[in-house]
Amino acid sequence: MIEKITAYRFERLDETLSQLNREDCAIIAGGTDVMVLHKSRRGVPPKIPKPIVFINHLSELKQVYQHHKDLHIGACCTYSELLENPLIPFALKNAIKTIAAPAIRNRGTLGGNICNASPAGDMLPLLYVYNAKLLLRSVNGDRMVAISDFIQGPRQVQRFHNEMVTEIILPFVLGDSHVVFEKVGNRNADTIAKVSFAGFVRISKDRIDDIRFAFGAVGPTMVRSIDIEKKLIGKTIPLADADIAEIVAAFDKIIRPIDDQRSTAAYRKTVALHLLRYFLSMKQYQPN
Amino acid sequence: MIKFTLNGRTVETDAPATARLLDLLRDEFELIGTKEGCGEGECGACSVFVNNLLQNSCLIPIGSIAGADIQTIEGIIETEQFKILDESYSIAGGVQCGYCIPGMIMASAALLSENPHPSEAEIREGISGNLCRCTGYNMIVEAINLAAKKGDGL
Repeated sequence: MIEKITAYRFERLDETLSQLNREDCAIIAGGTDVMVLHKSRRGVPPKIPKPIVFINHLSELKQVYQHHKDLHIGACCTYSELLENPLIPFALKNAIKTIAAPAIRNRGTLGGNICNASPAGDMLPLLYVYNAKLLLRSVNGDRMVAISDFIQGPRQVQRFHNEMVTEIILPFVLGDSHVVFEKVGNRNADTIAKVSFAGFVRISKDRIDDIRFAFGAVGPTMVRSIDIEKKLIGKTIPLADADIAEIVAAFDKIIRPIDDQRSTAAYRKTVALHLLRYFLSMKQYQPN
Repeated sequence: MIKFTLNGRTVETDAPATARLLDLLRDEFELIGTKEGCGEGECGACSVFVNNLLQNSCLIPIGSIAGADIQTIEGIIETEQFKILDESYSIAGGVQCGYCIPGMIMASAALLSENPHPSEAEIREGISGNLCRCTGYNMIVEAINLAAKKGDGL
């Protein structure tokens, strides 16, 4: 027997938002996560427990533009589209090249990666260190929320059912920054991270003006601590061993990973702290 | 009713919108060249072209491809590029059990269409989403390298 499935695919964003206002729906962008999450046996469609709204064809969600120097990225831009867009920072592109593989990069979207809210979401550590904000739109208007407030826990986001994430906003960064992204997994391509790390630093005259770190797959959401970051502001590069040890010890206290099928808590913690120590020990930071 | 182009023909289906493109291709259209490996987007055996872009058909709900242009391994078999890949894979010994090969050929074709003279690193990147449990990949990389030389821009 074929179960009845309700699905919508509107030509315009406003029609899509009206539908979301009428009914609690599952929003599907690329589908690369949701199709796996609800996978059935071969030949049987995935069982998605709500009416479905497809959005990845909406051109309103594929724009990339600068506004007041901030970078606005449409939520349905695929990774491949971001790689080809001249406005996307090199550091972000270098990271995207290490994510998934060509076939998934042609389908997976930035907005989807955020709303899936996986503890191991590939783009999340980077978006946290960029202080990314999300534009949520509904029939009632727009609101802006920091990514760290939006993501509440594994697969939990602060989105009302009539809202949609339409844009990801990377605030303007004054001066040159050095950004790294590291992902550790079983395989280079198409893998879910055991640990991931993003580091961001801005130096002027050998002193740290701004520094940010985010760790992925070592807790229910990304681990970031603005209090720990503040301890490094104004310090001279290269950092003294004692400073590095203090920062690593501080993260040692707040990083609490778990054992699961992909890795162990002990491995995750050791590697996360090594990645941090490596980033802090660099003799110089080239802007990228 | 969902309408799209499949290997150059306009087709329609009344399968549910969440049905996987992979199942539709194999069960309804009997295009069994596209294989199911992992069913989770990690092995590339189900690779097809959607509007000329390589994608995993196991991850595609058919409701999202209305109006799209889908090509499967059966749809590219008459192309010059396929003939050269076919020959190169056999010369290099790139095929053992063969299960991954339709997906590998799709990934190879996507790579060569975008980058006709790839380096070895670029070839490995191009097939990084495709798993092969027989060859250890070296013969496949060699096959693509050979095809790039022979095809010279195809």
